[in-house]
Amino acid sequence: MTGPNSGTPLRAGSNSSNLRIGPILESLIGYATLLFFALLCIAPFIWMIGTSFKADAELYEFPPSFLPASLQWQNYLDAIHSPNALRQLINSLIYACGSTLCNLVFCSLAGYALARLQFPGRTVIFAAVVGLLMVPAQSQIVPVFLIVQKIPFAGGNNWLGQGGTGLLNTYWGMILPSAATPFGIFLMRQFFTRIPMEYEEAARLDGAGTFMIFWRVILPLARPSMAVLGILSFQAAWNDFIWPLILTSSRDMATLQLGLQLLQTGPDARWNVVMAMATLITLPVILVYIVVQQFVVDGGVSTGIKG
Amino acid sequence: MTAPQPQVSSRTHRSQSTRNWGAFAFLAPALLILFLTLVLPGLLTLGMSVTDVSFLRPTSFVGAANYLKLLSDPHFRDAMGNTLYYTVGVTFPTMAVGLLAAVALNRNFPGRIAFRTIFYLPVLTSLIAASVVWMYIYEPYSGLLNGVLVKLGLDPQPWLQSPGLAMPALILMAIWRDFGTAMIIYLAGLQDIPKDIYEAARLDGAGRRDILLRITIPMLSSVSFYLMIILIVQTFQVFGAIYVMTGGGPLGSTSTVVFQMYQTAFAYADFGYAAAMSTVLFLCILLFSILGTRLMPRSRA
Repeated sequence: MTGPNSGTPLRAGSNSSNLRIGPILESLIGYATLLFFALLCIAPFIWMIGTSFKADAELYEFPPSFLPASLQWQNYLDAIHSPNALRQLINSLIYACGSTLCNLVFCSLAGYALARLQFPGRTVIFAAVVGLLMVPAQSQIVPVFLIVQKIPFAGGNNWLGQGGTGLLNTYWGMILPSAATPFGIFLMRQFFTRIPMEYEEAARLDGAGTFMIFWRVILPLARPSMAVLGILSFQAAWNDFIWPLILTSSRDMATLQLGLQLLQTGPDARWNVVMAMATLITLPVILVYIVVQQFVVDGGVSTGIKG
Repeated sequence: MTAPQPQVSSRTHRSQSTRNWGAFAFLAPALLILFLTLVLPGLLTLGMSVTDVSFLRPTSFVGAANYLKLLSDPHFRDAMGNTLYYTVGVTFPTMAVGLLAAVALNRNFPGRIAFRTIFYLPVLTSLIAASVVWMYIYEPYSGLLNGVLVKLGLDPQPWLQSPGLAMPALILMAIWRDFGTAMIIYLAGLQDIPKDIYEAARLDGAGRRDILLRITIPMLSSVSFYLMIILIVQTFQVFGAIYVMTGGGPLGSTSTVVFQMYQTAFAYADFGYAAAMSTVLFLCILLFSILGTRLMPRSRA
């Protein structure tokens, strides 16, 4: 008989049994709690993806079902074929890739100068960059709009920046405000200060100039930081809504984020198609994150994450 | 290693001066962009805030009139109140949830990375995708939330259509979207707490709750301050979610400072008045930042 035998030690020494059963029970409760919150956390995603596959009739059931009765791939085709979708995809890609490329180039150049080069005013400029980290970018959007509109010689402007539309409704205007950020300069500068001086000195003895050292020696070492900066820049521009909203007035220049908002407020908006579009916009960022999450998490940790 | 460059030998004797000018060549593009998109806009805002510029009629200097108008503008006062409500409502719960998630995931157990990824997913969603999805969650007649409430035997609510519930609904979504950031920052902070402090506490017979309240939270205080400032600065500028989900309504209950600024500038073309709002917003955020750095414990700041 196993019953009494297994029962006796339990009763004989409740202290020792607590040690054995307690941790298992505790970790079970821990797992259950974590699972519950993880479910709450991804419920909106399941709701989004589930709805994106629902047939039109299912949208009007109440209470609604969490998962679709069958997979309606047609919703995705409808989302892709919504007016201007391809154009919006191209615009979003140009905006995100352009912003990423500019950030990588300008921030690494400036970060390198602030970290490694000796020149008058270095501490002042670095202090100014750190100070600019605190400037609330969103609240500056009105004057930035006016500046972009008044760039001289652009969009029919004369040399005083009058008469034309400047960089409004152009890719240059879209990219300009995010082409270099205090955060990016700070991130790259922090990374470059950690590279041992010996690398540079060896190259300098070999007779390399400043730019050559930067290009051939330092930049290849900075790949992890460049990856972090690249991903964060891409994500910020891909997900940006406010700046394209204010900058663009023609539908030809709208990005996917604007397109999603137009689709949702449109006269014949169907929630399943809207959710299919939202899924299509969200998935690339999540997939890229999962592939490179080590970089993002570590880099985000060492410098703080911008919203 | 690197092949010697032809022009180098002639340069070495004046390397100090070339390096000086080279440094500015490295800095120039980035500094020009920062000047055009952050410094100049700041100055322009200050300048415009003392004018009645609207680009529809000739501009004239109005002195402090815009600021005086702000002081007595009931809509702006409401927007300030709404913004504060939103900021406080988002910042502190986000920190608390983020801390709990970080503490829960700061141990080695199978599935840890999967949980961390899941908790971080909302941070990756675009504001618009998240807003659209949550609008459908809050949808009164076919939405998920009311569906769950009805299944639990509770009354459905008109979430975004009710002046009392719209703001809490927006706050809930913001907490969902932001706590992953807090979690990641707290996880980094937890790495810096020496392990022997925990062991000593455990030997002294401290319970799990005591350890959390007496050791973990105090040891994380500088991280918490840093996080608090980031979150306050970010949530104080909320705009996108409100533009998409409520349009400032119902009855102005979710109209915030940046939303009102946007409307004043782009809907009413009153750029001078919008600039005054922007200046006030900037000063508020600067105040938070200074307070934060002052309050920050010296040890790690």
